[in-house]
Amino acid sequence: MVKIKYLLIGVPIVIIGILAFFYFFPNEEKKVKKQFNLLSEWVSKSPDENAFTMLQKMKNIGTLFDERCELKTPSQSLSGSYTREEISTYAGSARSHLSQLDLKFYDFHILFPEKEITKVTLTGRFTGRSSTGEQVDETHELECALKKIENKWLFSQIEVVEVLKK
Amino acid sequence: MRGKAPSGQQTGKETTDSSLRPEYHVVSRIMMVQGGVGEHSERDFVSDFYRTYPRGDRGESSDRMAVHNKIRQFFFPSFTPKFLIRVCLVALFAYLFFGYLCIPFTIQGISMEPTYPNGGINFCWRLRYFFSEPKRYDVVTVRFAGNKVMLLKRVVAQEDELVEFRDGKLFIDGKEMEEPYVRLPCDWNLPPRRVEKDCVYVVGDNRSMPIENHHFGQTSKNRIMGVPLW
Repeated sequence: MVKIKYLLIGVPIVIIGILAFFYFFPNEEKKVKKQFNLLSEWVSKSPDENAFTMLQKMKNIGTLFDERCELKTPSQSLSGSYTREEISTYAGSARSHLSQLDLKFYDFHILFPEKEITKVTLTGRFTGRSSTGEQVDETHELECALKKIENKWLFSQIEVVEVLKK
Repeated sequence: MRGKAPSGQQTGKETTDSSLRPEYHVVSRIMMVQGGVGEHSERDFVSDFYRTYPRGDRGESSDRMAVHNKIRQFFFPSFTPKFLIRVCLVALFAYLFFGYLCIPFTIQGISMEPTYPNGGINFCWRLRYFFSEPKRYDVVTVRFAGNKVMLLKRVVAQEDELVEFRDGKLFIDGKEMEEPYVRLPCDWNLPPRRVEKDCVYVVGDNRSMPIENHHFGQTSKNRIMGVPLW
């Protein structure tokens, strides 16, 4: 009975210790995921967002990207290589057409083919409402490459995978 | 009669367990009346006793006790190592079953209406294509990077077939197909295209929207996760 008592006290303490370790010393996967969470947070827009928050978010979005980021999409019009400033401007322009926007990422598959490079395959879901009231719902599989520069993981390539080919 | 417990029962220690055993609860009430605490008369507690224990049951209190204990054990089980192991096994089974074999999902969107309305709940049965291939008219779930977000579509053509839409009608290899599940008007036109090897062509049942706004097309068989359970 005493053993069970010690077990009941000891096991939660060990679990809490392990969780605390991973929380305070995140591994590289956690750091990569954090970049996606920040992108999601800064791209998303609530209906009551003020101009100051909007400008701050636009500025922040640029800091997540490498000096040049390559975008590959099935439609050729968007594909190309963009600078941080161009991405910030483009994101700001897209956000201005929407009254509400929510970007979420699911199903992360993170690989580290080289020491300072990571390849991430994931699902991105983009929901919102345009300023005219039209519902927007887009889901895509994305293949992203991030580079570690000055201890920060920055997006260097984003490719939209064509799941359904018309 | 006064102060006496029903036959086969003890009045000492057991009275403290009154909440657990209803037959002892009566004993406790009798003792309270004796002490003058309760408002019941002797006639009241005697009649209570006979109401609680109908004629045939008075000598079978141990059987009733066993049943009550079983019921209590079922709803409020004892926190024993055996019980913990059982809970862990059930949790593990549920995690594997609902996480990998029979994945619950909610339908968001109108592309499969009226067959699968927006907001419906279903399960993706993953073993359906374990030993077989998707066939025409099967409703399937198509994955993106994982199983958190999937597409629900109907297979209309298989590999090496020629798909075409003419004025909303589906043509496979130049032959018009019967599609009873398409109930909403459709005016799509799509030039013929051949389905590649190891692929299927999937479309939603609701084709009332413009063709540009509907997600459909050829997808790899590897992306098919399973079928909705109903």
